Amino acid sequence: MAVAEWLRRVFGLAGGDGRRSSEGGWPDYYRRYATEVDHRIPPDTDLREIPVVVLDAEATGIDVRQDRILCMGGLRVSGNSINLGEKFEAYLPTPPGFERSDAVVIHGIIPNSQRYAYVDEPTLLSDLLEFLDGALIVGHHIGFDVALINQALKRHGAGPLLNQVVDTADLAKRLRPAGYWTPEHDFSLDALARRYRIPLSDRHTALGDCYITGVLWLKLLSRLALRVGRDLQLRDL
Amino acid sequence: MPNQVTYRVYDFLKEIEPFSYLDQESLLRVASRVEVRYQPPGTVVFRPGEPPRDRFFVVKEGVIELYSEDADGQELLVERCGEKDIFGIRPLLADDTYVFLARAVEESLLYAINSEGFRDIIPHHPRVLEYLATSMAGSSRYNLEYRAVQRQRPGAAASREEPDLLTLQSLHRSRDPVVCHANETIMDAAQRMTEQGVGSIIVVDEDHCPIGIITDRDLRRCVATGMVSRKLPVLRIMSSPVSCIPTEATVTDVQIRMLRTGYHHLVQTEDGTDKSRVTGVVSEHDLLLLQGNNPAVVIQEITTARTPAYLRELRDRAERLLSSYLEKEVAIGYITAVMTQINDEIIRKCIKLGLARMQADGLGNPPALFDWLTLGSQGRGEQLLRTDQDNALIFEDVSPAKYNSTKDYFLKLADYVTEHLNEVGYRYCDGDMMASNPKWCLSVSKWKDQFTEWMHENTAENLLNTSIFFDYRGVWGDGSLPDKLTSHIFDELGSNSTRFQASLAMAALQNPSPLTFFRNFVVERSGEHKDQFDLKARAMRPLTDAARVLILQARKGNINNTLKRFEALAKLEPQNARLYEEAAEAYELLIRLRAELGLKRGDNGRFVRPEELTQVQRLLLRNSFNPVKEIQQLLEVRFQLSFLR
Repeated sequence: MAVAEWLRRVFGLAGGDGRRSSEGGWPDYYRRYATEVDHRIPPDTDLREIPVVVLDAEATGIDVRQDRILCMGGLRVSGNSINLGEKFEAYLPTPPGFERSDAVVIHGIIPNSQRYAYVDEPTLLSDLLEFLDGALIVGHHIGFDVALINQALKRHGAGPLLNQVVDTADLAKRLRPAGYWTPEHDFSLDALARRYRIPLSDRHTALGDCYITGVLWLKLLSRLALRVGRDLQLRDL
Repeated sequence: MPNQVTYRVYDFLKEIEPFSYLDQESLLRVASRVEVRYQPPGTVVFRPGEPPRDRFFVVKEGVIELYSEDADGQELLVERCGEKDIFGIRPLLADDTYVFLARAVEESLLYAINSEGFRDIIPHHPRVLEYLATSMAGSSRYNLEYRAVQRQRPGAAASREEPDLLTLQSLHRSRDPVVCHANETIMDAAQRMTEQGVGSIIVVDEDHCPIGIITDRDLRRCVATGMVSRKLPVLRIMSSPVSCIPTEATVTDVQIRMLRTGYHHLVQTEDGTDKSRVTGVVSEHDLLLLQGNNPAVVIQEITTARTPAYLRELRDRAERLLSSYLEKEVAIGYITAVMTQINDEIIRKCIKLGLARMQADGLGNPPALFDWLTLGSQGRGEQLLRTDQDNALIFEDVSPAKYNSTKDYFLKLADYVTEHLNEVGYRYCDGDMMASNPKWCLSVSKWKDQFTEWMHENTAENLLNTSIFFDYRGVWGDGSLPDKLTSHIFDELGSNSTRFQASLAMAALQNPSPLTFFRNFVVERSGEHKDQFDLKARAMRPLTDAARVLILQARKGNINNTLKRFEALAKLEPQNARLYEEAAEAYELLIRLRAELGLKRGDNGRFVRPEELTQVQRLLLRNSFNPVKEIQQLLEVRFQLSFLR
């Protein structure tokens, strides 16, 4: 561990040509993220004190190895508040060969529409890592989003996300476990939003889904706190 | 660049005052800085004494209650804030700490508006400032207290029983004026006003000369909104200088002065200037009670009227009187007494006109003693606006041989009377609950049989009839026949009470209390009044039904008015006094609201479109649902209705 850290620093310092360092293979933004940010959160930390980012990505499809990110949204949650002023939102142009993606009907992002200001993937990743910092990542079926991001990071020679991650679908299952009579889709964002009475108006826009997930997160936590019977800590999740 | 979530917040806020006054760009900027706050049930948003952070709140969903603490540390509910209500706006207006405790009653989402950003916007939007300064004053609790104070005023209380005994000399009533000094706190002044039951207090100097005045309105405008701290000296909010009149001024002098100056309060001093000692204060409200549009004059006119057309005109005039009463927030007990007297007088006049026509037709005088009964809300003396007529006729027992001809005479008479009433504006009853219907024009014995049947066979139809006919009141005739009916009812109650009372209580539960109002009105699903809220059926009827069955149970047959019934019940059952008082208060409020809506629209005010209510009216209405629910629970327990259901 110490050696790895040392190597990382040495190679990091050695690199110097802009985004991608020649020796370590890590771009600067990732090196900074990996070495200067503390991603460890002690399990007994009071949940209200942990910075949280609710994350959601819209992609060209559901194949982590093939499909690409089209849009990424993030909202900060601190305590029991979602701060709309501090948001992350970025769009990527649809890569060649994905224009006829079946997912267009779901997220409604028309390939390369003039409605959005696009950035390139490294910029998105760099901005995202800066926004994430050492926060706890929360998302619905967040494993998919994290895998997509990790694939993208890998494409640009960076390592994986290091933040701790919580899936609101898992949390919902723990609060109301699925039996053989409970189909998996009962833990979809739509079903849960309905169950917890969250309006679904902006579904399938990255930021809209973030917002819905954020409210769901807060509602789930209050129910979990009732079950645990005290203020929540990270290890309760 | 605004995103979808910002637009969602924007869409929500743009319907709400004062955000509705902002241009799109400014509001989008406000929306983009909103913090969405989640409050699980029972959690506190802020506490009294806490320094305000740089935000105020709009309820996105759920309910937040604001409490103030009294001297003993007891929590007093000040306000319930539902969807789209704003609270905690104090930090926006004054650098002071929170006065109230705000707590989520149910799971709630709040939009915390960054007041920093909002404050920058105010100078460019004068209407926002105007809104904040004026309409935030509509705190329900304060209005209720204000009315309670009005009710306790000696003038109003006395006139409540006999509204036409108003005379001029009482203007010179020898009551010591309520005063305070300029350096006393607003809180002390308000306290004294409450103790003394007055709507204004005069600020005096060391020589007892007036230097300013504070009225209920000032308190509402400045203090209830949180714009001014209650601990500041009265100097900060008093109106100054005051307009003075000499002690011996006449009503006309007062009227002219008020018209000329536009002041609502005049201070009486020894020599009529502000350089002499204060002797009293006259408000527009006093004047209205004293004289103004004197109901006695209207009643006088009714008795001399010769045609239904002129009666209609007089009833229209009474409506204007009603509207000015409502505007001045005169106590509902007084208003209903006045309007009932006017309605009664019109009914009497119509009967006299009917009798005259019978004479003209050559049918002669009534063949037997009779009493004209008015039913439903007019029977209870609670009718403010003209609704459908509900009436019946009772005549003394006659020999079987004469029964049919006697009945025919009264049916014919009733035809004329109901026709005249219709011309005055009391429309024919859809359900034909009128004295002209052979079913409701009966002799004493037959009426007794009818009531016995209603009380023993508790069908749905009988219960409906019960709810209308049991609130009968004789308005014209011999006067002895209604009492015979009443004593019969109580005899019957003695022999078979439980089941009948239980069914009556059941009827009071048939319209569930409209609690879902917080999110949506319980509106009518279909028919002519689709998407409207039925004020009468959903809020008022449960209260009248409850009052009726409870007063029957208490065997108080002569109390026919919902407010008075609750008043009597509060005395009979001290352990439930609070609930009954709240129920009466809620009922007053509903009567008031219905009259206000009806006057505005020119109908009977029964159905309301949710969107036509102001924020304040919505709040008041919502508060009135609490006692509805509580009283329904009381009935359920007392009459053991859970077994019946």
